[in-house]
Amino acid sequence: MTHLGMGALRTRKAAALAAVAAASLALAACSGGGGSTDETTSATTGPSAAESGEVSWWGWTPDTPVAERYIAEFNKEYPDIKVTYRNFENVDFRNALAPALDSGEGPDVFDLSPAGGSPDTWGPYALDLAPFAEEVLGADWESKFGANYVRQLSDSEGRVVSLALGGMAAGFVWINQDIFDEAGAEVPTDYDSWVAACDKITAIGKKCFTMGAGGEDTFPTEMFHSVANSVDPAFFLKAAVGDARWDDPEGIATLEIFKMLKDDGIIADNVLDAGQYPLANEEFMKGEAAMVQMGFWYTQYSGAESCLSAMESAGVSNPECFVQLPAEFPDVAGNGNGSEYFGEVDYGLAINADSANIGPAKTFIQWMTMSEAGQQNVANALDLLPSLGGVAPNWDNITLVDQEVQQPAIEQLIDDSNATTQSRQWQTSEDTLDAIVLAIQQVFDPTINMSIEDIAAQLQESSVPSTVGVE
Amino acid sequence: MAILARSAGSLNSNPGAKRGGWPRPGAAHLVPGGLKWILPGFILSVGLIYYSIIYSGYLSFFDWPGGRQEMTAVGSANYLEAFADPVFWTAIRNVLVYFVVIFTVQVVGGIAFAAALHSKVYLANIYKIIIVVPVVVAPATMAPAHIEVWQTNGTFNTILRAIGLGAWTQGWIGQSTTSLLVIIMAGCWGAIGFGFILYFAAIGQIDPEIIEAARIDGAGNVRLLASIVLPGVRSVTFSLGILNFMTALKLFDGPWLLTQGGPAHSSEFLGTMIYAETAGSSRNLGYAAALSIILLVLAVGVSIAIQMRSREKSPTGARKRKAKVANDV
Repeated sequence: MTHLGMGALRTRKAAALAAVAAASLALAACSGGGGSTDETTSATTGPSAAESGEVSWWGWTPDTPVAERYIAEFNKEYPDIKVTYRNFENVDFRNALAPALDSGEGPDVFDLSPAGGSPDTWGPYALDLAPFAEEVLGADWESKFGANYVRQLSDSEGRVVSLALGGMAAGFVWINQDIFDEAGAEVPTDYDSWVAACDKITAIGKKCFTMGAGGEDTFPTEMFHSVANSVDPAFFLKAAVGDARWDDPEGIATLEIFKMLKDDGIIADNVLDAGQYPLANEEFMKGEAAMVQMGFWYTQYSGAESCLSAMESAGVSNPECFVQLPAEFPDVAGNGNGSEYFGEVDYGLAINADSANIGPAKTFIQWMTMSEAGQQNVANALDLLPSLGGVAPNWDNITLVDQEVQQPAIEQLIDDSNATTQSRQWQTSEDTLDAIVLAIQQVFDPTINMSIEDIAAQLQESSVPSTVGVE
Repeated sequence: MAILARSAGSLNSNPGAKRGGWPRPGAAHLVPGGLKWILPGFILSVGLIYYSIIYSGYLSFFDWPGGRQEMTAVGSANYLEAFADPVFWTAIRNVLVYFVVIFTVQVVGGIAFAAALHSKVYLANIYKIIIVVPVVVAPATMAPAHIEVWQTNGTFNTILRAIGLGAWTQGWIGQSTTSLLVIIMAGCWGAIGFGFILYFAAIGQIDPEIIEAARIDGAGNVRLLASIVLPGVRSVTFSLGILNFMTALKLFDGPWLLTQGGPAHSSEFLGTMIYAETAGSSRNLGYAAALSIILLVLAVGVSIAIQMRSREKSPTGARKRKAKVANDV
């Protein structure tokens, strides 16, 4: 055996040490990792509301200026709680939130919507807020919120994982009245009048209806829902929960109308270039398009100030606000009805159960969701329908671009939106939403030669019926 | 084998020599001499990276929506789902097409520009800057620019109309047949510059005497390129082959920023599929892990294949040479 010498021995030891270190690192990580089925935070409700501290809030909505207004109002009552808001684009939000919450570096408060099963996806990270709500609002606290809001924000085990900030409605369109006036066009009420209006609008060099259906965002499902409502008001929700098939005649009729809308030029050629945000939002806000389908949250851009900042964000250097008004969805199917409005709670605020700032977080969401001052703020922002019943916008504090024309239209919109009975995304699974987007992209893409029947059949196959809210 | 033979020979020939210090060649062949220097990196590498790989492998046999939701054991269902998923095969096809095109463009463009700029060219430095700038531009910065160019009302269509090819205008980004093309164009833009940097350096290493000799023998530029330059930069070409394949396999930021894998999944890559499965709300981390393992297997397999190909082509067996030296001693 050769004599190895000190040098080699040291090398051997070092190698062994390295192996042990690596192995122990691996084992240590092993023991801590893995998905756990251990207890969630159902038992604890955390510390009680505190009057000072810091709170970080993440959401895809509201816009940052709106959030900062909320926070400024909040700080009038609670000056010692510092709230920082971080805004994300729709798709980016859920992509960013998941790793943040998993890593333990997540926000203290985050938006949580009823859409696509979110309460079950994000619920395990959130505190059950039912005891807190009862503490603040009393035993009948559930009835104080808008219809069904509490249920829509509870997970399958009945934990109330977020408290409703406000509701949302969709199924209508927004028009740029200035373009309509300039083109001499009438607001369309059915398919033929829509084609006629578009002719006049494109004649003055503007786009008629802007829509973005590219990418991964699920906005196109709103259009699908509206068109389906025009075909048969009961169809969409029945298919969403599996009581009807997406390739039933109503489903096929819906997709065929999409094709017609594109072929007849109502929906433009660049619809697949990008998603609704930024494509449709920018085109409408730049004043290049006469119509866009957006929900109640777009009401805020009727405000004189919000309109300017939205136009600036869209890239207009010296913005001049236009008059935007809501309009009913045209009767595209020819069955005598446009689209019923559909709505539900838009989102609520959830508290991260791992947060170190649960006390001040509770104060913040109590003010936002359960106090009249906070909810008045929500009403005035014209972004959400207040979730706490009985709060209406204080028009003395709100300046619209054209108060005379827009105020009555918005008041009507609020009343109609509060009366919705059809849910929006609460009872549609995420898989179904994705499948609808795919189907729409297949209909719009001129290079895909699938028949409508095949597209509908694929939609039916890829969709997953929702079990949410089904007795 | 050859190394052992050599070290045994050296020990036998110097029985009395006291070799102090470390490490003695004879003993050190099993443990590399610089181990204590690479120890920190080694621990990090083995501890972190290989642990992650093994954990991903473990995870791929489960369905797991992530976070605090339940993990359900599903055996090899995730792999079967991947192989049965037409989107997966679209992604594989896209990876291969991207690799072939980018690699070809990079090699051809890189060598062409490098050879051209090695000859006497006026304002050579300006050209070098222009060629290399795309390499340093971050994907997130170049994506909006490319969208501006390729969108339906974008620059490219405007140019086509201006030169009378209006019939060719289409929604390049928003069509399943051309979405991959847009991503490849965006990739080519930076690829040529990178190839240029490597080839420029490699061509500079070629012995100028060989080139002189070839010129004296009457070789023209093209013959010079084909017979002297190309073989001389072969190692760079093989390295670029491996690099490009790895890039194509992992590709994410370009496709995600430009098309998000759409429309209708036509421009999906393995990278975008894994991301969508990891970060969306209807995610299954087990499926994402399975896709990652498939990616790993492909990466390692192709690396080995390319390495073996490059070794076959070396002029003489390097090992044989070493054995001769040992026998002489």
